[in-house]
Amino acid sequence: MPDAFSSPNQIRDALHGQGYVCSPEIATITYLSDQLDKPLLIEGPAGVGKTELAKVVAAATGRELIRLQCYEGLDETKALYEWEYAKQLLYTQLLRDKLQEVLASAGSLAESADRIAAEENVFFSMRFLLQRPLLKALLSPEPVVLLIDEIDRADAEFEAFLLEILSDFQISVPELGTLTARVQPLVFLTSNNTRELSEALKRRCLYLFLNYPELEQEIAVVNLKVPELDGALTRQAVEMVQGLRNLDLRKHPSISETLDWARTLVILNAERLDSGLVSDTLNVLLKHERDLKRVQQRLEPMPGDGPEYQGPEDEEDHTRYL
Amino acid sequence: METRLMQFARALRAAGVPVSMAETVDAAGALTALGVKDREPFRISLRSTLIKRTIHLPVFDELFPIFFDGKAELPPDMDNALENLSDEEAEQLALALQQLKDNIADSLRRLLRGDPLTRQDLNQLAAMTGLDRARNMRWSEWMVRRMQAALQHDSVRRAMVEIAQLLEQVGFSKERLDELRAMLQANIEAETGQLQNFAGQRITDNMQARPPSEDVEDLLHAPFGRLGEDEMNVLRQEVRRLSAALRSRISLRQKRQKTGTLDLKSTIRRNLGHGGVPFTLSYKRRQKKPRLVVVCDVSTSMRYCTELMLGLIHAMQDQISRTYAFAFNDHLEYITPDLAHGSAQEAVDRVLVRMPPGHYSTDLGGSLAEFDREWLDLVNHRTTLLMVGDGRNNFRDPETGIFQEMARRCTRTIWLNPEPPMLWGTGDSDMNEYLPFCDHVLQVQTMAELTAAVDELLTR
Repeated sequence: MPDAFSSPNQIRDALHGQGYVCSPEIATITYLSDQLDKPLLIEGPAGVGKTELAKVVAAATGRELIRLQCYEGLDETKALYEWEYAKQLLYTQLLRDKLQEVLASAGSLAESADRIAAEENVFFSMRFLLQRPLLKALLSPEPVVLLIDEIDRADAEFEAFLLEILSDFQISVPELGTLTARVQPLVFLTSNNTRELSEALKRRCLYLFLNYPELEQEIAVVNLKVPELDGALTRQAVEMVQGLRNLDLRKHPSISETLDWARTLVILNAERLDSGLVSDTLNVLLKHERDLKRVQQRLEPMPGDGPEYQGPEDEEDHTRYL
Repeated sequence: METRLMQFARALRAAGVPVSMAETVDAAGALTALGVKDREPFRISLRSTLIKRTIHLPVFDELFPIFFDGKAELPPDMDNALENLSDEEAEQLALALQQLKDNIADSLRRLLRGDPLTRQDLNQLAAMTGLDRARNMRWSEWMVRRMQAALQHDSVRRAMVEIAQLLEQVGFSKERLDELRAMLQANIEAETGQLQNFAGQRITDNMQARPPSEDVEDLLHAPFGRLGEDEMNVLRQEVRRLSAALRSRISLRQKRQKTGTLDLKSTIRRNLGHGGVPFTLSYKRRQKKPRLVVVCDVSTSMRYCTELMLGLIHAMQDQISRTYAFAFNDHLEYITPDLAHGSAQEAVDRVLVRMPPGHYSTDLGGSLAEFDREWLDLVNHRTTLLMVGDGRNNFRDPETGIFQEMARRCTRTIWLNPEPPMLWGTGDSDMNEYLPFCDHVLQVQTMAELTAAVDELLTR
């Protein structure tokens, strides 16, 4: 397979071109995954850009993105392939005359059965195979990006079933034999870490742990995605979000929520952050009532309000309301 | 490089990170792809190929510099403070040093001269401080302190203050003195760095030489009360393995069950291939959504096994989303949020810090009453109630009425008791009072019994 990238730096630039701010670590591991033809398992809290990474890699390489969303009860027929019974049935009906013709000259029952058996390949062929995401990714003549999203939601045995695909890039279909990938896809798996994945699965993957980004990196993300927001205000807003992540909340604001908030500030034509504005727009960042209350309690005062500002970032204070 | 990589993998294994052969091969492949010239890509390629769990990342970050920054092999960068001195100053210094005790003067002179410790010195120190027997990275800090003490770093610092005064009196210039002091400080720091590297290196060597023993079988049958720290570690791993095994077993059992009502729609669909003749039937899969309420005793009498029990509850909570865990000693607390994030070890520590065991303070009856007031609606026909404790109640009201009500409301009541049945009802044990209301009472004195109990719990 022609490798998609020539160096980690090229990945970083390509992803940046797609609007994805990418740390050296992400670039290096993505490069390794491409070089070693190994799936990349990405873990981390919700909303740090795990799925996004697969999307931008697909966009940057111009490959098709095939996505398999996992959920409890997902099985082979939904993920891999299914015989199209209805179509098979329809064809048998339509081809009835032809079948009669084939069978007309047959002398005995056994001979008829043999003749039908000779034709059965028609019915169990690729024509009637409904390709689900995994098979589609393997059989695609063009290289693709395969995203297996939230693998931790699928059952443990589905994981086991993935092993063959992830290590050898092949699938066994009983009626057709083993189908091997024409071009190996770039595979990304994401997990929210709601349960421990099996060792066997992990062994076959490279591992990338994505955490919430550092201050500067998140500012870069906001600058890239919401360039309309004033530079100083961006920094202030991101600092505030980073402060929120240090609190004990039920759900911490993710990057996508930071971006939503930044857009909100743009729409509201905000020039500076003050407690009234923050308190009004806080529900963009926090999605639990308890979290909202807790943060609103400790909001005041803000730099926009006056010189007595103490700031939400002073570390010692975190425990006061918890 | 390959040998170094293998050694690194061995050290990781010894530190409790499962690193398989395949992963080592991947790491070697990654190195071929990215080269070993730059430190950062090198580190990332090893990390992404060898480490597959968030909780193991710190171990990697700790061991990596020890192995690949190669500081331990090189002598530290120390300056010779004595060579810049004029003859007169050297003489003054020599005189001042005579005021000190011989061994301290020697140490001070050595540090001022900036002679790095030789391999031999280090080996001697290791033998002296017991570093040779240390097989756990947690000890490295302490070992460094012991070696520093052996090298008399503190006394040397104090001695320097003393002779500084002397030197000032005999007319040593202030700037020269400050310079001297700064250099001494820098040399001491450099030597500490050398000691830290050496300690880390030696401990990993020790770990490689004697990896933790793996006789899990014996441990499985050892009573909880007699286990040491290392054995607890093995058992914790066993709990993890157990929970993984149970996970697939539950979901398989749910999948393979052949009961429930006929699913007409899916039967027709499945049998389209047979022209609509129903050869294979399909059933509506009954989604078994068990709810588990666990009440765990964390009092002193249970201290020796609470950690494992909580660890197990943590594992179960991972498997059964509707797990409501409570812990009690003198009062009852809802601990599910504590167990919800982090590794088992952290979660258990969180609970134990919040609910320290007190003496003779266990109040089982009171805790049941509290449960009755606050949480009784959690117990319904889907609930399995799991009590973990020895039923010892400090002669307080056992509140059997409440327990009876709880047991009546739930599908099954299971009591895990670490005490042998012989002791039930003796002393302040109210176990026999609760006994009639439980569907199962299992004695769990060993890991093997615990495994069997959990198996029973999850598969019925």
